[in-house]
Amino acid sequence: MADIEIEIDGNVVKAKAGEMLIAVTDREGISVPRFCYHKKLSIAANCRMCLVDVEGAPKPQPACSTPINEGMKVHTQNEKAKASQKAVMEFLLINHPLDCPICDQGGECELQDVAMSYGSDVSRFTEGKRIVANSDIGALIHTDMTRCIHCTRCVRFGSEIGGIMEMGGTGRGEDLKIEPFLKEGITSELSGNMIDVCPVGALTSKPFRYELRTWQMHSVANIARHDLVGSNIFTQTYKGKVKRIVARDNDSVNETWISDRDRFSYEGLAHENRLLKPQIKMDGQWKEVEWDKALEFAVRGLVDNALNTGGGNKLGALTSNTATLEEFHLLQKMLREVGSENIDYRLNVKDLDNVINLESTIKLVELEKVDHSLIIGANLRLEQPMINHRLRKAALAGASIDVINAMSFDFNYRTNSENIVSPGQTVAILAEVLKSILERSCAEIPKYLGKVKIGDVAKCIADELLESNNSVIILGEHAINNPQAASIAKLISEIAQQTGSTTLNVSATSNSMAAEMVNFVPGQGGLNANAMLAADLGAYILLDVYPQYDFHNSVQAIKSLDNKNTFVVSMNSFRDKEVARYSDVMLPIASFYETSGSHINIEGVMQSFAAAVSAPSESKSAWKVLKVLADLLELSGFHYANSEQITGEISNQSHKQKIDNKEINITAKRGVSVIWQKSPYAIDVLSRHATALQATKIGQMHNALMNKATAKKEGIKEGGQYLGVPVIITEKVANNCIFVHANQSTGDKS
Amino acid sequence: MIFDIKKLIKDFSLSELRSGMKITAKELVNKKITVQFPEERTPISPRFRGLHALRRYPNGEERCIACKLCEAVCPANAITIESEMREDGSRRTTQYDIDLFKCIFCGFCEEACPVDAIVETQIFDYVFIDSRQGSIMTKERLLKVGDNNEKAISEARAEDAKYR
Repeated sequence: MADIEIEIDGNVVKAKAGEMLIAVTDREGISVPRFCYHKKLSIAANCRMCLVDVEGAPKPQPACSTPINEGMKVHTQNEKAKASQKAVMEFLLINHPLDCPICDQGGECELQDVAMSYGSDVSRFTEGKRIVANSDIGALIHTDMTRCIHCTRCVRFGSEIGGIMEMGGTGRGEDLKIEPFLKEGITSELSGNMIDVCPVGALTSKPFRYELRTWQMHSVANIARHDLVGSNIFTQTYKGKVKRIVARDNDSVNETWISDRDRFSYEGLAHENRLLKPQIKMDGQWKEVEWDKALEFAVRGLVDNALNTGGGNKLGALTSNTATLEEFHLLQKMLREVGSENIDYRLNVKDLDNVINLESTIKLVELEKVDHSLIIGANLRLEQPMINHRLRKAALAGASIDVINAMSFDFNYRTNSENIVSPGQTVAILAEVLKSILERSCAEIPKYLGKVKIGDVAKCIADELLESNNSVIILGEHAINNPQAASIAKLISEIAQQTGSTTLNVSATSNSMAAEMVNFVPGQGGLNANAMLAADLGAYILLDVYPQYDFHNSVQAIKSLDNKNTFVVSMNSFRDKEVARYSDVMLPIASFYETSGSHINIEGVMQSFAAAVSAPSESKSAWKVLKVLADLLELSGFHYANSEQITGEISNQSHKQKIDNKEINITAKRGVSVIWQKSPYAIDVLSRHATALQATKIGQMHNALMNKATAKKEGIKEGGQYLGVPVIITEKVANNCIFVHANQSTGDKS
Repeated sequence: MIFDIKKLIKDFSLSELRSGMKITAKELVNKKITVQFPEERTPISPRFRGLHALRRYPNGEERCIACKLCEAVCPANAITIESEMREDGSRRTTQYDIDLFKCIFCGFCEEACPVDAIVETQIFDYVFIDSRQGSIMTKERLLKVGDNNEKAISEARAEDAKYR
């Protein structure tokens, strides 16, 4: 597009032909009022607020839908423009209630602001106003539809970004109502963004309702740690409490959107279940003590039970994957200083000798430019909403998406093919794909592929991969406990190499990239998580571990931690019955947004954040606790004044891909396999305590899904229970597969 | 010389004393303007800005809707409000405190209030009997002042309405 020159308010401005006028004025910092226009949504031009005077046009033109032309002369401030803006404002206010004092949008309302600058000071309207009935659209969004000005931003958000058109306009003229089409309300995993796009107070946050006025809060730039994206957010705080979270623009990370999990999980911070005081166990009784006493007790326990009796080898450290980069680093540094390599964060993996080793080689921004994608073992939409959003953009632009999953999921874009195969078969299908690709490119076929017979499905996928110029293969969370996880990852690398595709590994979430970066895995001679639990260690340091949720085999894990001779130091932000059962010391630590630190996203980009609020009561940031523990253990090199000093010390220690010569095993596994997953809003302790999130449809996902044949084989009936989870019989699941979503703690998952 | 004689005559004729006594004699029979406070009170302007009160609607419902405009406008930061959704879904305060030590009685809160809930009454003779805490008018105390003086408050407002 060529550069052209236009004149706005007498100033010559350069722009690209075909751009909309409002994009030019926004870039130039010229204020044009608007309601329906949103830079990330399509143009509706139905609010008419952005009328400007274009020379030569008989009537004022809406800036949002007027493409610019060479030599165009525009007036945004002349009498004609101002008069039409004032008139439109008057029309918009005819049916808008004057309830700003009780409206949660008051103070950050676009209508309020624009009415102040462009409206009239008195109302000439004396007739009755329209009243619209509200509908309950779920636990997250409160509606006051009388306030709606029909800008349709929420409707366009649903159809264009969210991918399900849940809100829509019914009726016309005076009777036009914006409402959800279905009774069950809004179920999208990105629904909270509707609150942000709504220019008035028609859609507001339900958990935040009537709590504060917007001007009372203090906004702190922060990073959400719930997924692999690290969405940029503002944590808004009042009197030392996080009261609301809103999105912060960052085009290379989350654009202007954030997922509901990032937006509403803050509610958990104020949960009564917070661990607030250090506690030690004396003769089987918990006793609240001062920090120095608790730390002294912890250090004595660690020294007596591990360091003095068996050296470092008797000590182990386990964390959940939500810890910050700095916490991972300090804990592994501490363990390695005392001579222990028993370090691990992969608690939910059944077989740690069979793990996924796959680099992510694509940037988030590039993800929306791919022309083909192969998704393996992921319910991307709920697990990684922002990554799915990028992929959806690609799909809308014409990318073909192939899926190999154990269950049919609700994708919010059209898939080219959705292949539902049991986890045991995944490796076989990938082998077929690889062989097909090798055959097509006349390359040498390795021995292990010799006997593979290429099926139609594999051939189609191989064709797609070969034909595309820019393809990405995405490996998801369902593969982590696949009997051939390692082989799957290797096959994917091989396929990617042969076809020039990029790969994206979303098999571990939250801040697991940070754990990898600081090498939070056992080194030479160290034990991994499962081996530690089997090895009967003398002492453990556990960082924010909640055994029923975090361990793959929680029953076994609790049993081995609950050993009389094992001294367990637990650092937790929330109280937990099981933790209390096996721990000897419980140290209260800061949760999300209460500590400074860093998140590493899937691109490997480090995003550091400061604490938005201080930790409640006596709890402390985990990095401070670890620092003092190390000091008390008389280790040197732990004198940090702030977490930035720790960040500075961390070099990229990411262990280079270990060359293991284990052969790729492509024998399909027979028999029933189980994919056990925490439901999307139960992946970390904070989300689990967020009441509103848990009340949503996604939060209520607590079911074991299987098809009729599998149920018969396992002797399970509809309405029964599978390992304490209610059973649903559906043909969506592959044969020989049980797919479990659990939002509550349950027993044995093996 | 002439001045001295005039002064002498004036002094000796007790003319100043007489003019003084004349006023005294006149005021002796005139109506008195002093009042016996607190039994008697002088008239007060309807715009007088005295002790604060929170008003109710005639049906007993409190007027305040927790919009916090008074809190925002208060130049002395004397007002503290906490709000929540009441069980019936309406927006109400759970705490409404005015620190009278901080308050400068500017009347901005009254001006800002969209529902005439917070008002400054004509009461000026109040004391804080119990410690510093006494200076903080809580929601209960403010509502009580409003309840006890609703007649005077509404009369004052009605009287001033035509000038607003």
